[in-house]
Amino acid sequence: MSIIKKLALVIVSLSLVAVSSVSSAKPFSPKKPVELIIPAGQGGGADEIARLVQGVIEKNDYASKPVIPINKAGGSGGEAMTYVKKKAGDEHTLIITLNNVLTTPVNQPELGIDFFNDFTPLARLITDTFLVWIATEGKNTAGVETFDDFIDLARGNGLVMGGTGSMSEDELLLGMMRGQFGFDAKYVPYSGGGAVAKGLVGGESDFTLNNPSEQMGFYQSGDSKALVMMTPERNPAFPEVPSSYELGYPDLEYYMMRAFMAPAGIDAEVEKYYTGLLHTVYHDNEFQTFNIDDGKLMSWLEGFGLKDFLAIEYAKHGEIIKNFN
Amino acid sequence: MDVFILLLEGIFVSFQPLNLGLLIFGCLIGLFVGAMPGLGSVNGVAILIPITFIIPPTAAIIFLAAVYYGAMYGGAISSVMLGIPGASTAVATVFDGRPLAVKGEAMTALTAAAVGSFVGGTVSVILFTLFAPPLAEVALRFNAPETFALMVMAFATFVGLGGDDVPKTIFSILIGLALSTIGLDLITGKPRLIFFNIPGFLHGINFLVLAIGIYGIGEMLWTLEETKGKVQMSKLSVNMKEVGRAFGALKKTIMAMNIGSFLGFFVGILPAAGATPASLMSYGITKQLSKNSKEFGSGVPAGVVAPECANNSASTGSMLPMLTLGIPGSPTTAILLGGMILWGLTPGPLLFTQEPEFVWGLIGSLYIANFFTLVLNIALIPAFLMVLRIPFAILAPVIFVLCVTGGYAPTQSLHDVWLMLLFGFAGYILRKLDYPVAPAVLSIVLGPLAEKALRQSLILSDGSMGIFFDMSEKPIAAIIMYIAIVLLIMPAFGPLYRKFFKKAQTT
Amino acid sequence: MSITNKITVKRAEIAVAVILALCSIALMIKSAENRITWNAEENMGAGFLPFYLSLGMFICTVLTIIKFVLKRSPQSKDDSPFIDAEAFKYIAVTIISLVILVLAIGYLGIYFSLIFFLAFYLRYFSSKSVLFISVFSLITPVLTFLFFEWLLKIPLPQGISEPLFYPVYDFMYS
Repeated sequence: MSIIKKLALVIVSLSLVAVSSVSSAKPFSPKKPVELIIPAGQGGGADEIARLVQGVIEKNDYASKPVIPINKAGGSGGEAMTYVKKKAGDEHTLIITLNNVLTTPVNQPELGIDFFNDFTPLARLITDTFLVWIATEGKNTAGVETFDDFIDLARGNGLVMGGTGSMSEDELLLGMMRGQFGFDAKYVPYSGGGAVAKGLVGGESDFTLNNPSEQMGFYQSGDSKALVMMTPERNPAFPEVPSSYELGYPDLEYYMMRAFMAPAGIDAEVEKYYTGLLHTVYHDNEFQTFNIDDGKLMSWLEGFGLKDFLAIEYAKHGEIIKNFN
Repeated sequence: MDVFILLLEGIFVSFQPLNLGLLIFGCLIGLFVGAMPGLGSVNGVAILIPITFIIPPTAAIIFLAAVYYGAMYGGAISSVMLGIPGASTAVATVFDGRPLAVKGEAMTALTAAAVGSFVGGTVSVILFTLFAPPLAEVALRFNAPETFALMVMAFATFVGLGGDDVPKTIFSILIGLALSTIGLDLITGKPRLIFFNIPGFLHGINFLVLAIGIYGIGEMLWTLEETKGKVQMSKLSVNMKEVGRAFGALKKTIMAMNIGSFLGFFVGILPAAGATPASLMSYGITKQLSKNSKEFGSGVPAGVVAPECANNSASTGSMLPMLTLGIPGSPTTAILLGGMILWGLTPGPLLFTQEPEFVWGLIGSLYIANFFTLVLNIALIPAFLMVLRIPFAILAPVIFVLCVTGGYAPTQSLHDVWLMLLFGFAGYILRKLDYPVAPAVLSIVLGPLAEKALRQSLILSDGSMGIFFDMSEKPIAAIIMYIAIVLLIMPAFGPLYRKFFKKAQTT
Repeated sequence: MSITNKITVKRAEIAVAVILALCSIALMIKSAENRITWNAEENMGAGFLPFYLSLGMFICTVLTIIKFVLKRSPQSKDDSPFIDAEAFKYIAVTIISLVILVLAIGYLGIYFSLIFFLAFYLRYFSSKSVLFISVFSLITPVLTFLFFEWLLKIPLPQGISEPLFYPVYDFMYS
């Protein structure tokens, strides 16, 4: 009996303390560590950014409580999105996006995710672009110097493309290119951008559509080279790689968005706080330098601009998926 | 000569006060993390990464590598003392380490584990230093067909691990593989076996859930039934005579040390393999090649040395592709790799030339970490014995607490804790009916790797299995595959051969 | 007493084999939600491996049942109780308290659930004093908190007790 009495006392006294601290009205700031859900595995592009954001916040004390990245890679982001959906109204949960948040609700309708009503978009920080990569000493792509050489070769031969997983961005992108350039390729899925890059250099695949950071190591060592960057302009991190606009293929434009969202049903005050926090991180020197060196595009977007952007991208991806199937 | 100078500089780097302090601290944390059921090197390294933001990258990698390393030593402690592997890398250490402890020779088992780890780690880091560039080339050439061939070889070595009841052993292997297919199919992107549409199944079944369930909860239930909560866990005594006897027993384990060190290193540098399959393969091969293979499983020091030697060797080896190619050789190095990116380094072939202090500081620290962990490990044996003297009725709930938190922590999902309980109860009942449970744990670890490699290969070969046996196109895959087949057949012919030979001798 | 005597090893063996056979069939049916055939275009479907693995499991359980019927396995001849009455009590109490623990974690949060679990378990199984049990049951969750939330920065579920921890976090991160 005495144990229970003691416990009851402890609980009552603790709850008194808690109530008194909650009831005071102040602008929002986190009351406990903030969970940052990553809808992908460790070591990928989204994971890299999430952990960078965590580090920058912690190092500079931008927030009163730490941010804790949690990987929920299951089901192409389906697990992470279901988790955040269930957390509606929770003020200590954020999710970083890859484009799989645009495709998974369409591809897996049984999850019952409503992209526009289950989340509160906060801000987009970065867009990552894609490049067409071949191995410098690729045995099937010998003699390929330009993107046009590559298309000619690919039309005649069934090349092998290494990718990050079925129905992921790069397979959709391959679907897009099929339509545009009239070639087909064998798609071999790996379990992440790093493995894809290695498969290319190891001679297992003939080309990949990878993010800059994922192929950076092999690019710098000269083991792989890029033929085209799918953006309107060249990127300072890859000065000699032409943009798709330069080559006359303005339809070949594709981005991976690195945005942050909160669960649905949070107060405007909370939304404002996190958007402000992300804004501080965005302008942090270290954050800027790291991402620019890595070939990423710094592209802040918030509020209605972000909502419009998401609506357009969601519709665009729906279209790509429809054409793909 | 160049390598020698670089190495000396590296050792010098790791003797800087901050680095040395973090190295010793890391070894200590690693020992404890490894010894705790459910927390292995992966969890330890992943959760400590945020702490490393306040220190320079070289100190950070030295610290985390020491944790990784210490966990390989520490895993053996709970395998021997409690019969629960502290981490998947120490699963094979239970097979003979636990029987030794039950026989009252825990000291022998612990000494064998510590010395085995030291030998494996040292041989491996020397190999690492000497052969880094050429071995990186070999690993680079390992693609899907080679990986699948390697997996088949790993499964082949497991055949000898099961009990006498063949259907029950195969059932155990198959259920582990079947459980590993739960979640999203990588190749088609379709969800598989999502029972009752519960979202928790989307991330598949983490091998830790099954391992903690079976080796944590199941083992506690088993022990509870045996002791009825009254008896303490195995009684042990430490004195110099014991230690001397333990060292004496090590003379017979030289073959195990050789197999463990070299096999472990080689398996470690292969992407996707790592310390767990290395330790299991090392155990299996040592058992098959041993003259007294029948005694394995009943408590022989060689059965402890083989996996312990291999897991340390493999953990060092797995850092090779991480450093040279930016490809993790094991789950833990995958997290280290993520850390390197955060510290502002680009993992890949350029690291050796651009960041020599980082690379050689890490390599140098491995030599030193080996020594410190050996000393700490043996010095702390009395501390671990104290853990054992705690009455079971107090130890059991503490272990349940560790299992529940350890089952929750990796995926942070309560769904996995429920599965863990279910596997624990089911594993307990099946074990009572002589279903071997170890093969299930092994196959859930290797299942996803094997399936991915198999199906990638089949896409490349347009559905032809010939890709694994083509000596001219894929010689490495073919050679490994033929070795695997020989290994598969060997246990069947072994007894026949021995019977025949024995008869010939006696008549 | 009588129940545990009636559950013999022999009966448990056949019951478990039949249950596993049924589970294997269920797994085969579930696998068939995806394509389980091999076609020239895409070779194996998503359900191919799970289907044949569970078919293999089914065959193994059938072999176990055949061995049982032919009395070829040691379990098929064993009429001793599967578990003795005293051990059964311990096992049952442990399993039930673990299930209640995990149920409670979802609602009450892990730290308070652990206090009740430890207090109950130690009171039931050990002969330690009430003082020892109280101290032990309170210190273990505190250490768990420090280890996970402070040292490792892994948040554990707190359920309805979450607001109680806000002042603790304020203290930790101030």
